[in-house]
Amino acid sequence: MEEKLEENSDDTHHLQLSVTPIRFEAVNQLTNVFFDDSNKDVFAVRSGGIMGVVVKNANEDISPLNFIMEDHGTVLSIKFSLDHKILAVQRSNNSVEFMNFIDNTLETEYSQCCKKNSNILGFVWSHLNEVAFITDHGIELYMVIPEKRTLKHLKTTSSTVQWFVWCSANKIALLASAHGSQLLPVYIKQGTINKFSKLETEPGRMALERDVTLATLYGVPAVLILRHQSGPGTAEVHIHTLSGLGQAPVKSHVLRLGLSGRFAINVVDDVVLVHHQASRSSLIFDTALTGESDGTVRYHTPIAPAKSFRPVKLVLPGLTEQQTHICELYSPNWVVFQPNIVIDAKLGCLWHISLCLTELCNQICDFGVCTQVALNRTNGKNVLLDLLLKTSKQEKLPLDKFQVSFNHINNVYRSWMESELQSNTASPPNIPIPPKSQITPRVLIDQNDIYNEMLQKLDPEKDLRKTEWLLTSYLTSLSEYNIPVQHILSELLVTTLARQKKITALQQLLQYGVISDSKQMACLLLSLGNMHPAATQMALDMLTRINALEEIQEILLSEGQVLAALKIADCNANPRKFLSIAEKYSDKTLFHSVLIHFKNNPQFASAFQKDERLVNFVQQYNTLFDEK
Amino acid sequence: MVTQIIAGLKNFFVFNSSLSTSEGDELEKILYYYPISDNTDVQIKNVGLVEGIIHFTETFRPSSSVSSVHTEKSRQLYYQPEKGYWMVMTIQLNHITKEKLEGDSGELGDDVQDNVYEAVLKQAYHMYRLFWGTFQGTKDTDTLKMTLEIFYRAYLQSLKLVNADILNIFSGIQYLPLDKQTFLKVQCFINSLESNYMMISHSAFLYNDYLIWSGIEPSDMQLVYHYLIDTLLPANIETELQGGSMPRNSPSPFAALRHGRFITGPSNLRLAKTVGKVPKVFFYGEQKPEEYYLVVYRALSATVCLFVKVETELTLNIFKDLDDFISPKLISLVSDIAEYCSKQVITPNMADNSPRFIYFNKMNLAYKSTVHLDNKQSGNVACMKDSVRIMADMKLNNSYLGSSGETIVKTMSDYWVVGKTSNAREFYIALQQKNASLIDISEEVRKLCETELKGIFFHST
Repeated sequence: MEEKLEENSDDTHHLQLSVTPIRFEAVNQLTNVFFDDSNKDVFAVRSGGIMGVVVKNANEDISPLNFIMEDHGTVLSIKFSLDHKILAVQRSNNSVEFMNFIDNTLETEYSQCCKKNSNILGFVWSHLNEVAFITDHGIELYMVIPEKRTLKHLKTTSSTVQWFVWCSANKIALLASAHGSQLLPVYIKQGTINKFSKLETEPGRMALERDVTLATLYGVPAVLILRHQSGPGTAEVHIHTLSGLGQAPVKSHVLRLGLSGRFAINVVDDVVLVHHQASRSSLIFDTALTGESDGTVRYHTPIAPAKSFRPVKLVLPGLTEQQTHICELYSPNWVVFQPNIVIDAKLGCLWHISLCLTELCNQICDFGVCTQVALNRTNGKNVLLDLLLKTSKQEKLPLDKFQVSFNHINNVYRSWMESELQSNTASPPNIPIPPKSQITPRVLIDQNDIYNEMLQKLDPEKDLRKTEWLLTSYLTSLSEYNIPVQHILSELLVTTLARQKKITALQQLLQYGVISDSKQMACLLLSLGNMHPAATQMALDMLTRINALEEIQEILLSEGQVLAALKIADCNANPRKFLSIAEKYSDKTLFHSVLIHFKNNPQFASAFQKDERLVNFVQQYNTLFDEK
Repeated sequence: MVTQIIAGLKNFFVFNSSLSTSEGDELEKILYYYPISDNTDVQIKNVGLVEGIIHFTETFRPSSSVSSVHTEKSRQLYYQPEKGYWMVMTIQLNHITKEKLEGDSGELGDDVQDNVYEAVLKQAYHMYRLFWGTFQGTKDTDTLKMTLEIFYRAYLQSLKLVNADILNIFSGIQYLPLDKQTFLKVQCFINSLESNYMMISHSAFLYNDYLIWSGIEPSDMQLVYHYLIDTLLPANIETELQGGSMPRNSPSPFAALRHGRFITGPSNLRLAKTVGKVPKVFFYGEQKPEEYYLVVYRALSATVCLFVKVETELTLNIFKDLDDFISPKLISLVSDIAEYCSKQVITPNMADNSPRFIYFNKMNLAYKSTVHLDNKQSGNVACMKDSVRIMADMKLNNSYLGSSGETIVKTMSDYWVVGKTSNAREFYIALQQKNASLIDISEEVRKLCETELKGIFFHST
């Protein structure tokens, strides 16, 4: 409870660490800790394994593994295969040992050496049973055959390598040579190795391993390189995107950090977080924003002021009572892993970073930018709807900003509608239906959302004018994107105007086609007709446009315009109905006109002979006009 | 045959009999009298005569008072806008006798139409009321006399009696045809203006002589519209053309044009020391009368009218602020409107004998005329003046037709004039067709209705 209150009162942090970290045995003289970012496993290896190895996954739901491993020397690297059935351990720079892991115990080791004169820089599980050794001479790809306890060589690629970075999500390794001035992305597919073109960086510009991050931004693999400036300049992050194998990597974004010193990078929900140790704060960038562009590269500034993580506490069991330990943020013991993991090995904690979107949006002063940021986040819908409501409740409406915001929202809405339309129509019956549109937007705000979550939540008495303004603004945006307006919105506009007695405005909106025609709408207008005669005219016009002759006829009859109604009805008129109405007006001429109209029309001739009631009308007529 | 020719305004006066009770102070009841060349005796005599006529006719028909008196040499129109206050306008008539035709009785044709000049007189009152409020509401009689003097001295000069016609009866508003998207942009501009400046109660937006948006009641807008179109804007366009308001030393003469300016209030914001004179207007369209400052801003061909709450203190800074807000938005908006208008097919040069029409919608006071070739009341019409006169006569008799009906008239000169009413709208058509039958004409009219009155409910047959 206490914690909850604290969270609410403090809303300036837009990043937080998971409340309950994954705990593991901290690094000490006996224990070594390893993290495998392919499987997100934390290995705590006690005394080289002989005292036990505990494997905890970053995913809390996966239960920890606990086993004993023989100590054959200092462990350099330890990783399970992707299905956790084979454990690979590197203890020297020319071989890797493998152990089949069955029923929580390890079977006998088998080993694989690398090519002669090569040094293993590291190894990665690139596929289920495939392991790639990255050596100073290139990549060696092997297949492990656990039943035979052997490895089969699949492929070798040669290239000079000083260090490398691996991205398990995209199976891309970035090989660095010439002190990081040559960076070569390599794609390790099942059984094959494909090289991309080299990253185009400034010639001779070196990079350190720790300054290079591989990540995925909006579905596209990207290389993020931290570039420190010599001298007084501030650092930048250069982002090279790898759109596809055939395509050369393109330097497409530059993040201007405005700071210098030590940084670490994470990617959460497609925003880039750059942690700055000296100021103990993190900068947030969204590469989807337009930014300033020179044609190829877009330059970005942080979307919000730099802020620190929300403070975290550890609750430790004490002798008598629980003790709380306030964790040091941005500690020198922190190591970050992609996409959103922070590990403090001294403390034995693994946290996930998450975005506090509401707080972040509060920090962004430009409502248009804020909309874009929220639109691109997985859980952005409610945040954005709240934001729209909050902004619409401001004393002074930033209508221009709303316009921008609605346009962003409807841009997404429109593309979604188009893809829906395509998936619903274009496929011929014999072709299997394509998978339900994969491009469902992260945040889709449709007309119902705007209606229910914003417009309906405004004060129906005090905010009439606001509702009118916002609605017009929203309708303008819908029209801009060619999205048909739903009736509820048109109806709200009409009632909002009617309640303010703005019939003139309503007339003009109809005149210029802002309110679309429908029978429903015409009925609504008609209901306003008692108070405002102009509304009846508008209703009749609308019914004419949708060719609702029957309704027009009824309106005219109700207004006593019997002949006018008769003209509209033409051949479809019901003689009895018209005659009985005409009779009521005790207007001889009218009665005459109506009767003669029907009598002289051959279509009704038979009716006049059969229908007794019609014959009555004729008799009545004859007495009225004294005719034989 | 005798034709009446309007020779001009003989006199125009406003009086209230209750202001003078005893003999000898008859001058007291005269609130305004034109022309000043009439000496007081003449004034008193004329007013007295009118009082007599009004009093006398009331005996016969107390329900509605006399509205006009026809004499050989003049036409006098009466209007009582407020209880006890009478406005009288006398038009001087000349007669031209053309050679007498066989069978012509020599009777006067009704060339000067009462309903047209009644409308002129009523407009004269409503225009006054727009700027000064009601007669009764004025502080005292001396103030009323003064304001009447100020207003009518100029107003009567601008009266165009000779060319008054059915359009004066309508006193309608021309709307600009515009697509939905551009209209919405105008709407958004207005909304953002009104939401930013709470002092602005309502606004209106015009492009050239056409209205696009008005936030006030049509009955008020029609007056403001006519004030703008007939008086304020023409005067301003003249100064614009003379270059009077443009800085002569400006590096590019277009730089000034690219920027808007206030045409009520400080016209040159850089040089202005005070806000200048901002007129007030009185609206009576709503339940209770409202009073506003009328601030008019113009850029390129667009005019924005702001009706500012009268309790606002208008300072130079407010104007500068407004200018900064409006100018950039308006200029881009105007280019959108201009682009749309230029894309529209201009009405093909109508053949001289093609049907001409006047359309009027009572509900929003919109009108459209292809009879009139301009909207300056210059008498420049595309069909026989007789036909236009017939339209006004038809208008007079519309009430007998009920909510929908049709009148067809054929003139001696082979002109057909058709008047139709339906769904609170009026549509008058003049066609010239030799040897046409009624069926031919009906067919022509039906075709015209189909093209011109698309999308509205209007009996076309």
